[in-house]
Amino acid sequence: MLWSETNKPMPEAILVVVEQREGKLNPVSWETLTAAQAIASDSGLQVEAAVVGSNIAGIASQVAGKKVEKVYALESPKFEPYTPDSYTVGLKNFLVSRQPKLVLMPHTYRVRDFVPKLATSMGRTVISDCIGYKREGGRLLFTRQMFQGKLSADVSFTSDAPWFVTLQSGAFRGDQVEAGASAAQVETVNLDIAGNLIRQQPQEVFKEAKQAVDLTQAEIIVAVGRGIKEQKNIELAKQLAEAMGAELAASRPICDSGWLPMDRQIGSSGQTVAPKLYLALGISGAIQHIVGMKGARTIVAINKDSEAPIFEISDYAVVGNLFDVVPPLIEEIKKAKAGA
Amino acid sequence: MLIFRKPMDGIERPQMDADVVIVGGGPAGMACALRFSQLIDAYNRKNPESQLTKENIYVLEKSREIGQHCLSGALLDPRSMHELLPGWEKEAPIDAEVSKESVYFLTAKAKLKFPLTPPPLRDHGNYMISLNRFVKWLGTKVEEAGITIFTGFAGSELLFDGSRVAGVRTDDKGVDKQNQPKSNFEPGYDLKAKITILAEGPRGSLTKQLVRRFELDKDRNPQTYGVGVKELWEVPPGRIAAGEVIYTLGWPLTSKEYGGAWIYGGKNNTVSLGFVTGLDYSDPRLDSQHVLQDFKKHPFVAKLLEGGKMIRYGAKSLPYGGWWAIPPVAGDGWMLLGDSAGFLNSQRLKGIHLAIKSGMLAAESAFEALEKADTSAAALGDFQRRIESSWIREELWKVRNFHQGFAHGFWAGLLHAGLQQFTGGRGVRDRYPARPGFQLMKPLAELPADGGMEKHLLGPCKGDGKLTFDKLTDLYHSGTRHEEDQPAHLIIHDTNICEQRCINEFGSPCQHFCPASVYEMLDDSSAPNGKRISLNPSNCVHCKTCDIQDPYQIITWVPPEGGGGPNYDGM
Repeated sequence: MLWSETNKPMPEAILVVVEQREGKLNPVSWETLTAAQAIASDSGLQVEAAVVGSNIAGIASQVAGKKVEKVYALESPKFEPYTPDSYTVGLKNFLVSRQPKLVLMPHTYRVRDFVPKLATSMGRTVISDCIGYKREGGRLLFTRQMFQGKLSADVSFTSDAPWFVTLQSGAFRGDQVEAGASAAQVETVNLDIAGNLIRQQPQEVFKEAKQAVDLTQAEIIVAVGRGIKEQKNIELAKQLAEAMGAELAASRPICDSGWLPMDRQIGSSGQTVAPKLYLALGISGAIQHIVGMKGARTIVAINKDSEAPIFEISDYAVVGNLFDVVPPLIEEIKKAKAGA
Repeated sequence: MLIFRKPMDGIERPQMDADVVIVGGGPAGMACALRFSQLIDAYNRKNPESQLTKENIYVLEKSREIGQHCLSGALLDPRSMHELLPGWEKEAPIDAEVSKESVYFLTAKAKLKFPLTPPPLRDHGNYMISLNRFVKWLGTKVEEAGITIFTGFAGSELLFDGSRVAGVRTDDKGVDKQNQPKSNFEPGYDLKAKITILAEGPRGSLTKQLVRRFELDKDRNPQTYGVGVKELWEVPPGRIAAGEVIYTLGWPLTSKEYGGAWIYGGKNNTVSLGFVTGLDYSDPRLDSQHVLQDFKKHPFVAKLLEGGKMIRYGAKSLPYGGWWAIPPVAGDGWMLLGDSAGFLNSQRLKGIHLAIKSGMLAAESAFEALEKADTSAAALGDFQRRIESSWIREELWKVRNFHQGFAHGFWAGLLHAGLQQFTGGRGVRDRYPARPGFQLMKPLAELPADGGMEKHLLGPCKGDGKLTFDKLTDLYHSGTRHEEDQPAHLIIHDTNICEQRCINEFGSPCQHFCPASVYEMLDDSSAPNGKRISLNPSNCVHCKTCDIQDPYQIITWVPPEGGGGPNYDGM
């Protein structure tokens, strides 16, 4: 059968899907491109790249400066903000028409989010987080780590193309990406993505609050232990901490019970602190806790058990029920502060 | 609300094929791997045309580093090491050769020396070792030989193919307290093995699955156990010579409990001391860590340790049941080694040499089976025959009734032991029966409220911080560490029993028998008896006592996320 001119099959390609966020190229994309160039020179496939987003001409031309046959700017307003559905639907439409042999992507959080969905929707599989490739008897093998890096496995595809592969960051050198002799052609592909196919509704982007408290920097720490008895009594310790301008911390049982978050735990399985003042409320002083706070300059302990080991390292020992001691203490501190 | 670990359902897992997977990198597993490698090397020398590979033999070890979870006294009978690696003494980490031994019977204040060291406790020619350092060394031999040890990976489930063991599933990593995957989630691997060899140590969790599924304990005596609680000390010079061995019987135990202590003088003024308490005592309040603390208070021991410093702590169970309690050790696709099978001489309190020997024999059978491409029960049954015609059987046959003889207390036990000594191990009948130890625990109502004769052994020990320690302080010296955000790996199948029955009937013995303060009963006004069961899984030292000793048998120990556990060094 003879191919007519218009029906001529496109040369088989490796398509690199580069990653961009808010108009900035994720530099890990250069690593993926380096890998694609290496595979291409070994296999005779040609390298093409795709940028996904909205108003991405700038990035597309940036990529076109490298040694690639062609760059596709896949445009749709639906790509902003990112949703796994828009990427899946958009990329699938494009891949079905372009039919590359191999689709390479960096193993980023975003790719990890959409690529399983994309591959599944096309009835394909992904070889993920690869650290290298080999050619063996005409087959392409990709190397993945197993058993936390103890073993490497070479994996190949048995299914039809397109084959999806993601690459571990750092597996290839981004600074070794080859520049092109001249800028490659950029083709803008406007993708029509039906709104009803996008089931996610992204909310405002937020940064996870940094650890709200860095206990190692605190000058005063009020720490609670098992003597606090019940979750509702944490409030009392909180009030004391507020009155003193202190950070609130705890021994393990308190965080274990979920009464305070784990990042407030002091001791061998938590943080090690050395504040100017450490006020221990109802903490018996097991060695597991002591190792995390014995460097405090002044240690005040309130405990009803006069033989509690915490008293051995305390500078001031209050033998008594914390529920009797703490409320008047709060009052006195408030008074003293008001007076000052 | 307690949430327990279980392998993630409905996920796809990476698969890997293997010839042999050995679960557990202790003395048995390492010896097995090493012997296997030797057989392959010998074959390859003879058959330069058709080389065998070691690439498909794997050892799974749940500790982060090799040997980290191994704990024993330990004295090593060198017999099997001579067979495995002639000349091994020149390079292995040995503390000392046994130079002097004595056995004492202790009363509360005094000691009586046995005029003659009873033959089973004669240790001349044995070596004092730290098992974890020894295994670390053995592990380097295995790795040098080209066999891969996956440290930080536990066997979480056996894979079956009908009645055949088809491999092992490793632990899921990155699972949070609620059993939900975290961002670093990695599913466990399915290792499809032609032969799966379980060398998990005493009360192995996969071994338990295997024994249950194939009823391997049928027609056997129930396995019985002890728990050894150990401290490592540094003492002022001149207290005890390197190579000196002391065994004691009697105090602080009464004549009703089975157990005894060891004191070994090591290199650089270190002393290994520990107490093995039989897990067949009657008072649920008994606490084996407390027993060790009491033992140290005996003037004889206190004098030895005075001015010294405790540097390490740990605990481990050991199987006592002997020959009649050993299950079939091979079947379709599987074999059992070492303490997992119960290869321990309870009279000599030695099992390392038997573990090593069993590993070697298993490797020989497995190698032949793979060569013939037949790993069926019939082919692997060769291992059973090798055991039965080896010196393992010879040694264990002579003491087959030893531990059972002590069922009615110390004095009757001595009588039986003496009789057995003269009748080739027979005693008064050919097979002394046994009962599982947990069944011998008595309800509180049947015991004196103040503990009676055992009073001093019960409940938590307070410790003086110098000679004796409370449990948490001891525990700190085990170096145990786990990922905190993971489900509890101590599975309690019905916590209602804890809070409604056990608390009244037995007074929650989990708090006492656990030498690592994993189990706690916390005040809770909403609980039916005012207390609820709470777990501190990250305290666990992997001794398995809870799985063995709980009177309702509702606790199952499963491995936590690989890499967690004690950090034994010199133990």
